[in-house]
Amino acid sequence: MVSNRESRGGRPFAFFRAGARVGAEGAERPILAFEDVYKFFGKDQPALRGLNLTIERGEFVFLTGPSGAGKSTLLKLVYRELTVDSGRILFCGRDIARLTDRSIPFLRRNLGIVFQDFKVVPHWTVFENVAIALEILELPARLVRSRVGEALERVGLSGRGDERVGTLSGGEQQRVAVARAIVSEPALLLADEPTGNLDPTLAVDVLTLFEEIHQTGTTVLFATHDHGLIERRDHRILSLEQGRVYDVRRGLASWSSSGVHAVREARRAAG
Amino acid sequence: MSIDSLISRAMRGFREELRLYVVAVTSLAVAFLCLGAALLALQNLGAVAERWGKSGHITVYLRDGLEPAEITRLAAVLEGLREVDHVRVVSSEEARAEFLARTELGEEVAELGAEVFPASIEVGIVSGVTVEAIEKLAARIGALEGVSDVESYRGWFEQLASLLSAGKVGATVIAVLVGFCVFAVVGNTVRLSIARRRREIEVMKLCGATHGFVRGPFIVEGIVQGLLASALAVAALAAAFFALRAELNSAFSIFVGTEAVFLGPGLLALLVFSGAFIGATSSTLSLRRYLEI
Ligand SMILES: Nc1ncnc2c1ncn2[C@@H]1O[C@H](COP(=O)(O)OP(=O)(O)O)[C@@H](O)[C@H]1O
Ligand SMILES: [Mg+2]
Repeated sequence: MVSNRESRGGRPFAFFRAGARVGAEGAERPILAFEDVYKFFGKDQPALRGLNLTIERGEFVFLTGPSGAGKSTLLKLVYRELTVDSGRILFCGRDIARLTDRSIPFLRRNLGIVFQDFKVVPHWTVFENVAIALEILELPARLVRSRVGEALERVGLSGRGDERVGTLSGGEQQRVAVARAIVSEPALLLADEPTGNLDPTLAVDVLTLFEEIHQTGTTVLFATHDHGLIERRDHRILSLEQGRVYDVRRGLASWSSSGVHAVREARRAAG
Repeated sequence: MSIDSLISRAMRGFREELRLYVVAVTSLAVAFLCLGAALLALQNLGAVAERWGKSGHITVYLRDGLEPAEITRLAAVLEGLREVDHVRVVSSEEARAEFLARTELGEEVAELGAEVFPASIEVGIVSGVTVEAIEKLAARIGALEGVSDVESYRGWFEQLASLLSAGKVGATVIAVLVGFCVFAVVGNTVRLSIARRRREIEVMKLCGATHGFVRGPFIVEGIVQGLLASALAVAALAAAFFALRAELNSAFSIFVGTEAVFLGPGLLALLVFSGAFIGATSSTLSLRRYLEI
């Protein structure tokens, strides 16, 4: 378990304990803020160019945009797979870009991350795949068992802890990945096209699962280019194009006032 | 880091890569067995040399046709020397009988007459006399009346000494080779298992595992490989030695008059410990090279 003592030392993110009970100063700030962030891969082709965005604690935000828009890059900057070239990324008010390599694990312990390709270990059991997130935190085995049990219940995999993940269907594997992401009760849940490899009904199930997790207080940043999925949901939508946020709207409510959507809604009402 | 979790994750590594580890441990055990056998040979050679160095003796060959009275007088003279511990007169007949008993060569040799074997006096030297002093003594005895030839065994001793130092060089070379072998095998095993566990390493890092958490099991696995291999080699060597001890001893005592000895506990512990140590360092180095964190 990460102790409070470490947070005052060289590991700025160690104080975010599982359960996201943050001190008063952290709680007042947005959970995530990008300030004029640039990320280059080639010399003259920035993947992100002057990106600004703010996500408040407890929000559910869709991150959308065409393939190549920079969604994955944005998320990778948050979990420090990549480092910004300029600008700041504040997680609970602290600049991620300035973290030393040794501190990165402690940042990641405050994040749950779900991917398009699941990133589960196929030859491990369901239990082992989820428990690893808590073993890293060095929780006692008894606590690991009970919390993995709860997480599996939340994703609808109760009682299936002993099955090998490689034998599960794609939708079930993604549920294992979600259970692993939430079992340590992180402050922020990142999802990079988590429904991309699933057929539409399963995609909706997984989205609903994220919404249920959001209901219990977790902040969710959900990247997807699947408009069919986000259309009917009442969440803030950040659209990325060519490395900038070019549109900020809400689903449902704001859509009914926008032109295209109004027409479509009218048709639906008529039909 | 929690030891329980470390051990159980290392155990899982062994289970998942069982064949890889069986092959690695077996080949390492063979390497350690070679080293152990070399050390054992060296140890026994050393024991022989030490014994010879301590209990020097000289064989004084007598001129043909010496009267028994003259032989007795000569023996008495030799026994009176300060460096001499005891003397034993071996007549031509006795020399022939001893030779036949030892060689079992058969009929044609048995027909050789006693005159072929010269009478001699075996002179035992008191312990602590140096090889050089024995050499001087032999020269003095050679000048005595009735002596045809003196064998001080200095050549033998020198041969044994050079054999011993060659053996030491050989054992050192083997030790270095075995060290390299352990390095290569453990390093390679770790490299392979890093490749096979790429996905789980990625998962652990995404969940916030520290370098130590990811590396720990690999290092434990390296240590266990080295430890298991060297312990197996020691066990096999001990089993072979004690099973063959009776035969070894009978062969040994004819030539050198000592019993075969096994490696001492200190050397055995060093062998096993060095297995663990090389296993640990080579897996650490291999991790540094192949695990990009
Ligand atoms: N590692 C990389 N090296 C070079 N270019 C990259 C790399 N990762 C992403 N890019 C480029 O950055 C842009 C944004 O990519 P990405 O963030 O993956 O987009 P999205 O996830 O929205 O599809 C793309 O033009 C892509 O080619
Ligand atoms: Mg992407």
